[in-house]
Amino acid sequence: MKRVHSWLVGMIGGVVLSVGMLVPGTGQAQESVSVRAALVTGSLPMEDPTAAAWSSAPLSEFPLSPQVHWPTRILEVTAQSVKVRGLHDGQQVSVLLEWADPSEDPDDAAALEFMVGDKKAHFAHGQPMGQVEGGPVNIWFWKNKDTKVLDMNAKGFGTLKAQDQQDVKGKGVYQNGTWKVVFTRSLSTPDAENDTQIKPGDFINIAFAIWDGKRDAAGDLKEKGSQKAVSSWWYFRAEPPPDYSSYLYAALAVGLAAGFQFVVIRKLRKGAST
Amino acid sequence: MKGGLLLKGAILTVGIYLFLKLALPLFTAPLPASLTFLYVALTVTGIVIFATLSGQSTEAFWGPIARFLSGDGQAGAMRTARLLVLVLFPLLVGWQAYSSTAPSDQPPAENRTIHPAPPGEFVGLSNPIPNTPENVMAGKGLYAAFCSPCHGGNFDGKGLASRGFNPPPANFSDPTTIAMLQESYLFWRIKKGGVGLSIEGMPWKSAMPRWEVELKDEQIWKIIMGEYDGAHQKPRTWE
Repeated sequence: MKRVHSWLVGMIGGVVLSVGMLVPGTGQAQESVSVRAALVTGSLPMEDPTAAAWSSAPLSEFPLSPQVHWPTRILEVTAQSVKVRGLHDGQQVSVLLEWADPSEDPDDAAALEFMVGDKKAHFAHGQPMGQVEGGPVNIWFWKNKDTKVLDMNAKGFGTLKAQDQQDVKGKGVYQNGTWKVVFTRSLSTPDAENDTQIKPGDFINIAFAIWDGKRDAAGDLKEKGSQKAVSSWWYFRAEPPPDYSSYLYAALAVGLAAGFQFVVIRKLRKGAST
Repeated sequence: MKGGLLLKGAILTVGIYLFLKLALPLFTAPLPASLTFLYVALTVTGIVIFATLSGQSTEAFWGPIARFLSGDGQAGAMRTARLLVLVLFPLLVGWQAYSSTAPSDQPPAENRTIHPAPPGEFVGLSNPIPNTPENVMAGKGLYAAFCSPCHGGNFDGKGLASRGFNPPPANFSDPTTIAMLQESYLFWRIKKGGVGLSIEGMPWKSAMPRWEVELKDEQIWKIIMGEYDGAHQKPRTWE
């Protein structure tokens, strides 16, 4: 009985200690550095910013600054941060932006920005860099009064142009002082020269811009053009399908180590008895 | 003493590990994990070589390990400890295999150089503006108008427009920023802005404007004076 007892204690103790090492620490708040578009098996809420499916998407939040980089700058903006969620189904990707805005205005607008191709692009509309040859940016631009999303490119301020081939769909809903806008596009497109290509598992760069379309007492737009709230580059990743091969390798390693132990102990016992 | 050699070896190995991990960082930068592993591995190798120099010392060293693992005649705590080792070892090997093959879900590491080398034409320039109270005051005025929205009225990098930028605007009161740079370096960074950085500075991420578009050289030199004075720092010099 005593022999069984100590054997059990050893087994349980070992398993508890090991599981303790495997479980990652909880309660550690992680700063958002990336948007993670979760892979879903059902249909995507492609043009529904209020769909229940969004609650299952991981939430990231990024602070925003007034655009000060370019001379037509602004020093105060309405949107202080933007919450971002992403979902994809292996074919299409949907990105949901959510931000606080005290009023719904026709000129309220939002944009996502991505690099295109292998060259790095400056976050301010891919403007030219002094010592590095940069690439273009792909901008998905939504404006409330247009009720659609424009698929655009830029390589420097003043070069923004809508593409001939429009690939991005979207919709915005304003509720309780909050805008929710969804952008949807195929993960990949045939036009790799102008469109960002999203390969599940790869980290690509993403940046955000928000305009408050409110007008001042003189009737002028408070935020317009390069006068907007912006972020610099962060990361975006469409989650890859689950890969269980590392569990297989781990099981194989456990088996090999247990076998090695068995052989060593058997050898030791044989040596001791001779 | 039976098993004394093994015990001494174990204490020495743990002692070396604790020294590298806890004591050494008090005097210098913490060692990378790979170097700590190398030092501990060297220690263990040295102990094993020393312990197996003679037949007697070999038995004193390996004997307790062999008796512990074979489990013959063990009872109570020793039996439990042996079972713990036999369960933990395969699980640890399995964990190592898992963590070295599991796909990473972390964004790529960024090795951004904060102060990359300036282009040759900006090296060794000296401030042509006399350092008078009037010029310093003028520089502070220009700083307040053009720089403080991001770099802060207190020169601490915490201006109202700073929160969305990654990397954040430089904190001039930090002794590792302008205090370790020459005035000519600041002149380059202000004039050419973030887009003027070399590739290791990751110019595509910087929000710093290219001020040569909006300011004259003379104004930039005055801003540099105002910055050093306001942040209570001195520029680095050759002397």
